[in-house]
Amino acid sequence: MPGTYQDTIAALQGYWADYGCVIMQPYHTELAAGTMNPATFLRSLGPRPWKTAYVEPVIRPLDGRYGENPYRFQHYFQYQVILKPAPADVLDLYFSSLAALGIDLERHDIRLVEDDWEQPTLGAWGLGWEVWCDGMEITQWTYFQQLGGLDLDLIPAEITYGLERLAMFIQGKRNAFELEWAPGITFGDVYRENERQWSIYNFEEAPVDVLGRRFAEHEQECRQLIERGLPLPAYDQVLKCSHLFNLLDARGALSVTERAAYIGRVRTLTRRVAQLYLESAAPAADEAA
Amino acid sequence: MATLLFEIGCEELPGGFCAWAERELGERWLRHLSGNARTLVGPRRIAFVVTDFDAESGGELKRGPAETVAFDDGQPTKAAEGFARSAGVGVDDLVRQDGYVWAQTSPPPLPDRLWSIAAGLGSGKTMWWMRTGHDERIRFARPIRWLCAKLDGETLDVGPQEIPSSGVTFGHRFTAGEVEIPEADAYEASLAAAGVVVDAQARHDLIVEGLDALGSWSDPAHVLDEVVYLVESPVVLEGRFDERFRRVPEPVLVTAMQSHQRYFPLPGNRFAFVANGGDPGVVRAGNELVLEGRLDDAAFTFDRDLAVGIDGLAARLGAITFFAGAGSFAEKAERLVRLAGRLGGGDASAEAARLAKADQASELVREFPELEGVIGAEYARLAGYPEAVCAAIEEQYLPDSATGPLPRTEAGKVLAAADRIDTLTVSFELGHKPTGSRDPYGLRRAAIGLCRLATEGGLRIERSLLPGEAEPYVEERFESLLDAPVEALRAAVRSPVADLGSVAALAVFLAGLDDAELEPAHTAYTRAQRIAGKAEPGAVDPGLLAEPAERELAEAVERAEARIASAVAERRFDDALAGTAALAPVVDRFFDDVLVMAEDRAVRANRLRLLLAVRDAIGMLGDLSQIPH
Repeated sequence: MPGTYQDTIAALQGYWADYGCVIMQPYHTELAAGTMNPATFLRSLGPRPWKTAYVEPVIRPLDGRYGENPYRFQHYFQYQVILKPAPADVLDLYFSSLAALGIDLERHDIRLVEDDWEQPTLGAWGLGWEVWCDGMEITQWTYFQQLGGLDLDLIPAEITYGLERLAMFIQGKRNAFELEWAPGITFGDVYRENERQWSIYNFEEAPVDVLGRRFAEHEQECRQLIERGLPLPAYDQVLKCSHLFNLLDARGALSVTERAAYIGRVRTLTRRVAQLYLESAAPAADEAA
Repeated sequence: MATLLFEIGCEELPGGFCAWAERELGERWLRHLSGNARTLVGPRRIAFVVTDFDAESGGELKRGPAETVAFDDGQPTKAAEGFARSAGVGVDDLVRQDGYVWAQTSPPPLPDRLWSIAAGLGSGKTMWWMRTGHDERIRFARPIRWLCAKLDGETLDVGPQEIPSSGVTFGHRFTAGEVEIPEADAYEASLAAAGVVVDAQARHDLIVEGLDALGSWSDPAHVLDEVVYLVESPVVLEGRFDERFRRVPEPVLVTAMQSHQRYFPLPGNRFAFVANGGDPGVVRAGNELVLEGRLDDAAFTFDRDLAVGIDGLAARLGAITFFAGAGSFAEKAERLVRLAGRLGGGDASAEAARLAKADQASELVREFPELEGVIGAEYARLAGYPEAVCAAIEEQYLPDSATGPLPRTEAGKVLAAADRIDTLTVSFELGHKPTGSRDPYGLRRAAIGLCRLATEGGLRIERSLLPGEAEPYVEERFESLLDAPVEALRAAVRSPVADLGSVAALAVFLAGLDDAELEPAHTAYTRAQRIAGKAEPGAVDPGLLAEPAERELAEAVERAEARIASAVAERRFDDALAGTAALAPVVDRFFDDVLVMAEDRAVRANRLRLLLAVRDAIGMLGDLSQIPH
């Protein structure tokens, strides 16, 4: 088995590159999931086939625990694969990737357990599974059906490996901070202090008034960019709004109704951007066809 | 006679879908196939085998034109020829009977019939994953990847060409590959050899047998039914977790094992789980690691909560919104304390009310929302609160349905009622009245719970505690709970009885009366109501009573009033009814002897007021005019 955390990532990169995926790099603004990266969200729309794989650092302010809890982080990593359309042997491809990580499929108990996915802020849903390896959830698997409130033309398979869980399984560790990142360096060495300081920011220091104002500014900018027919920069504004909402939520600044209202605002923007992306991408798609 | 096999090969199906498909096949689809059908359903396949299958059956007898139209001088007419063509038979095959001609049609081709069954199972929560050549999107719970159909040794080609259809199936996902099925009736044995138990009942029995062998297992969250459809090759294994986790409250341990991992708790620090193959030693070690990780996480959270303590948690409730417009949980707790007092609760219920919502501020309830109340009670115990207080906190969400158990302790009942009254009151004040199927705040369940606390729980709940529309809303719920017609309930609701339990008891009492028993009171009530119903109420002036019959009635009403009132208050409805019945002949005499609509306005008004007093005295037993008579 590959030993370190970085070995695991390198093995996945190699496996999916060999399959023919475009290996993308992480996106440049905060995302709560690899799904929100435009390489997944926008490229899954429309009729053009697309295969990609990439590491995505995800930021979930509410999940931070000041670096004190070895299972909860406000910042961690996903390995994201999109195969659009999903080939008929897509599950076999996935299981082979586990084998490529050195997991002996016959000695372990690997199971697909129903897990339906829904993301209201993205107007998105799909059906799929959690993948269990000896009871450990190592991957989220989804066949998207709708994104941005739009029915999809081709059904992509989204394979999201939880890198820390996977590495814990591979390394036989109970504590993510004890994972060996590189020889002699642990996950904790690299990220524990980061967790502590960002938890303080997320829960205590993030300025609520400023966050609310920024949300409104990005929302406004998004609308203007939609008017200008620029779905890609407009989508970045949606991502910024989404992250600001998550921060406000972590600060406990939102009542139940306010929360619902913010979700509704992000969803509205997402739908309009998705629609615009499809309209402006249509000529290119025709060329490809 | 032949044996038919049809298997829909899928990517892993949800357990709930498997169970549904198994029922649906039996109840809806296989009845139309002649022979003996067995369903064989698991995570990767929905299959059935039909023995004694008659491939020719399944057609229908079609009625054609009248004989006189179809035949002319014994010769078939154009009408007969057209009908025969449309039914797919020759003119010579037409049968004449009962004045019509009939055609016995052949069944549709078997592959089409089989595919229509697969397509028919694609309802409920489904997805699509591919298009057929006709741009049709096939929908199913998860992608269909192969079809396997055999009629004895013959392979049938079923379904759209984009889905492979052959005599080949697949065994256990990781230890066996393709499996050729030589004959339909070899299906089960061929798969068994490839590591798959296809019969769900057989898997169930294997699992139960394995669990029994490990000792007294439990399954409070009922995960067994799902586990049966999560595995094809069940192996029951035992695992252990470190003794140090036993300090974590047991409900938390059980929930971590069951809801996340689908494990079965065993006594002590042991648990059982069902694997789908693998090396038992490796799989056991992995599952133990995972559970310990979950328990470590729960223990970590538990310790953080304990460091704050139940009183510390209660102090944080001011920052948590109950729901928008209804203030914080701290304000809710204050209201609960007041309500507990008004419900006659003692010190224990007041203390429990103060602490009832404290666990909403705990991290453990955020992790395990289904354990609200249970966790609060545990924290109260650890802080040394009396058991009566802790039990009440634990029982506050009972009953959670129309049939679920009630709180056992007095303080628990008081707190449970206070919680529901508060939720109903606040929701109705904010205009969140449930409509049809929309009831986001669970008010119907809250109201049903309140009714049951009053009836089965014997808790006295004053109707005045429910303001405005909340009271009729709650009382309407008795319709589904009581064995009484709705008219009896409507009559009882309009009586002045003070508490919910009395409303229910009165409705049941009225519903149990036969016509003869109800007659005197009913007649007196409706006569008085008809004549005086619209009159100005007020005290009867004895000085204006001239006729003996009206003086007699005034005295009788005064006596009856006191008797009925005390009888109704004590739920001695028989005695109350006797009191009203005693009034009936006096009322009759009054109507015989006295002209209510007297010339003198003062006398007339006084007589109307007397009749109102009659109506109200009898009306203590409810608005009897609601009951058809």
